[in-house]
Amino acid sequence: MNQKENKRYERLSSSSKKQLVIESDQVLHELQTEFTDNLSGMDYFYGVAHQFARGQLSNQEKRKYIATSCVQVPIELIYAAGALPVRTCSGAHSMSMAGAEFLPARSCSLVNATFGAIHTNSLPVSSKPLAIINPTTCDQKKKLSEIPSGIDIPFYTLEVPPTKDSEEAREYWYRIVKKFTRDLEQITGKRIRKSNLKEAIFRVAKAQQAFRQLHQIRMGHHSIRGTDALLIANTFFYDDIDSWTHHLHSLNSELVQRLTGDLNRQNSSSPRILLTGSPSIFPNFKLPLMIEKMGGDIVVDEFCSSNRLLYDTVAVDEWNMYDMIPAIADRYLKACTCPCFTPNRDRDRKLLTYIKDFKVDGVVYQSFSGCQLYELESMRISKLLEQENIPMLYIETDYSPDDKGQLSTRIEAFIESLKAKKLHLIA
Amino acid sequence: MRKLKRYINNSNISRFRLIFQILAFLLLIYGGYVSIHIGTSIPTFACPYNQECPGTCYLISAQHQLHNTWASLFGFRGKAFLIGFLTFILFFLVINKAWCGYICPLGTIQDWITKVRNLAGVSFSRYDNLSFKRLKAIKYVILFLLIIIPLGMSNSLLGLPLFSEDLSAPFCQICPGRVVTPLFIGDTSQLFIDFTNTTTMIMSTLGIIVLALFFIGSFFKKRFFCFFCPMSALHSLFSPISPLRLNKKGDNCTRCGNCYRVCDVGIKAIADDIEHKYMVKDDCMMCFKCVEACPENDCLEVSFVKVPLFTSTEEGFFKRNLHLDNDMKNPSCTIIEDEPKRK
Repeated sequence: MNQKENKRYERLSSSSKKQLVIESDQVLHELQTEFTDNLSGMDYFYGVAHQFARGQLSNQEKRKYIATSCVQVPIELIYAAGALPVRTCSGAHSMSMAGAEFLPARSCSLVNATFGAIHTNSLPVSSKPLAIINPTTCDQKKKLSEIPSGIDIPFYTLEVPPTKDSEEAREYWYRIVKKFTRDLEQITGKRIRKSNLKEAIFRVAKAQQAFRQLHQIRMGHHSIRGTDALLIANTFFYDDIDSWTHHLHSLNSELVQRLTGDLNRQNSSSPRILLTGSPSIFPNFKLPLMIEKMGGDIVVDEFCSSNRLLYDTVAVDEWNMYDMIPAIADRYLKACTCPCFTPNRDRDRKLLTYIKDFKVDGVVYQSFSGCQLYELESMRISKLLEQENIPMLYIETDYSPDDKGQLSTRIEAFIESLKAKKLHLIA
Repeated sequence: MRKLKRYINNSNISRFRLIFQILAFLLLIYGGYVSIHIGTSIPTFACPYNQECPGTCYLISAQHQLHNTWASLFGFRGKAFLIGFLTFILFFLVINKAWCGYICPLGTIQDWITKVRNLAGVSFSRYDNLSFKRLKAIKYVILFLLIIIPLGMSNSLLGLPLFSEDLSAPFCQICPGRVVTPLFIGDTSQLFIDFTNTTTMIMSTLGIIVLALFFIGSFFKKRFFCFFCPMSALHSLFSPISPLRLNKKGDNCTRCGNCYRVCDVGIKAIADDIEHKYMVKDDCMMCFKCVEACPENDCLEVSFVKVPLFTSTEEGFFKRNLHLDNDMKNPSCTIIEDEPKRK
């Protein structure tokens, strides 16, 4: 890089970082002030999100970081190797602008933003990660490592099979994860021992248990706003996993108390909405916030950034390396409903189960323009929901705030129609 | 009642099974010392070659009962056979294939060998799908042979000459139970190769080979022998009418594959099949480890005459497998035991 370029890079980097702070503070402000029924247990998560934008997380400690560009990376292994996983998936419009300089015009905002965040070094931690683990899930993400941009962090390509039903895919993935374990030892310089791995599985399982608890609480009642739930999942591994789990547990008990007290959010007229499709990652809460402001109640979401990340469990039969590693591998492959797998009928089933369990009135399907996989699956899903007589709103959008006006009209209409339907049904 | 149900669903059924297996093992190996006798139609490997066995494996009875001419089989001896057969079915139906998972002494020995391997830190192996499908047919072939050979000793089948009398109880001659179970009362008399004639030599050598395979195989593959067991084949014919059932609710399944991972006999359908309800496949031994490993509420369920006995729950999953307490009133998530110490 010559000097001119260097200067330009520094300008880009510092201005996008500033914009990121403005953006996320705005969203946090909305989350905290737009609604009247904030939970006190949410303060911690707001705080983490606040720090995240400033790159101040885990500053006090000098630790090793491993960046991950997708939820398909087995984080148990990273913990076991004594490093901390840092998610690079970004929801910031500023980052997507920065990334768009390098990627083709019709790339999806999320990929742009992820690339931008890596390129401008706007990760939530102070020191540079040792490597970026880049799973071969969607086409755009898997090609990231080949784009010339002067990123000086090594990319590690984690091979994910394109299908998950066959025995061969499973065997292949086992071998890849096994190899990844060895390579991770090389990268971090620490041997992954049986005891470390067991401990890591326990730590993540504790977090999962808390998350599943929240899931169960949400199933029964209108208890927490969907945006808050999204933020909770988003802040997972922005902070120390143990304190995250601890705070989620106290939030859960607050919710349980609330249900027994007078503050029950039971509001029968607000339509219950399921959010699915391309993931809303903080601070890109454009769509979910809009839905809630219009009076929709996001009761559950099917996003890789929340449910898919934390829901599925690891079951180990024999606590030895030879069984723990395949057990971890299974968690990331078998139950996954990412559209990068073909066939992906499990996603249909998952959505139908959620619709039944959460008594969903309507589905909002978000698809980032350029995210071909979710666009392709929307055809199948809309057909499926049509058969089940569940209204679905398909929204193609990106991170920019330009289409807010147009979107709000559509969402308002959708929610009003759901309300009318609901009132009609009640009356 | 709800409390009891929750207690059971949170419990560790593998630990219960381990204890039950030891008790059943003591009964079936040493029961004769206290003069117990439970008949000659036991649907598991209660081997009478062990002098102190309190009963008789149905396979040996059946082989002897079938060693008769057609004429007598359709007369008085046929009645004896039918009575034995009905007793076998009645015995079997009570606990379905749990005979294999909870009572069979050969199964128990294999589980112990598995424990040794686990402690030694040696990895286990699995059959791939294709081999699984091919190999699982072997037990039916053995079952067919153990029925046809005794018949062929007394009757000419398809014009063939009568089989040699030395083939009497042919399966027992190659069954590892004949050699292994007497060893536990200090009787080594079954460890031999019979040089009387070619037939006995072949059969007893086969017996020793199968015995060696039994030990080596079950070290590397969980429940290696069960996969070829003709008793299991006979069971699977009647399993669907038993009141003890393992059912699956396909709608609740996320196909995460946990159940298949922990399955000792490697039944893939338990994870992949979301259409059928009854999940006791022909290799299943009803150990219910799958129910333990299932994190979805009400997805897998063990029931007896439609009364649910043991159901998969999220709470039970975390408590059992990861020692995590899931008490809403105590949200600090206390760890019950066995959490690795942090350095």
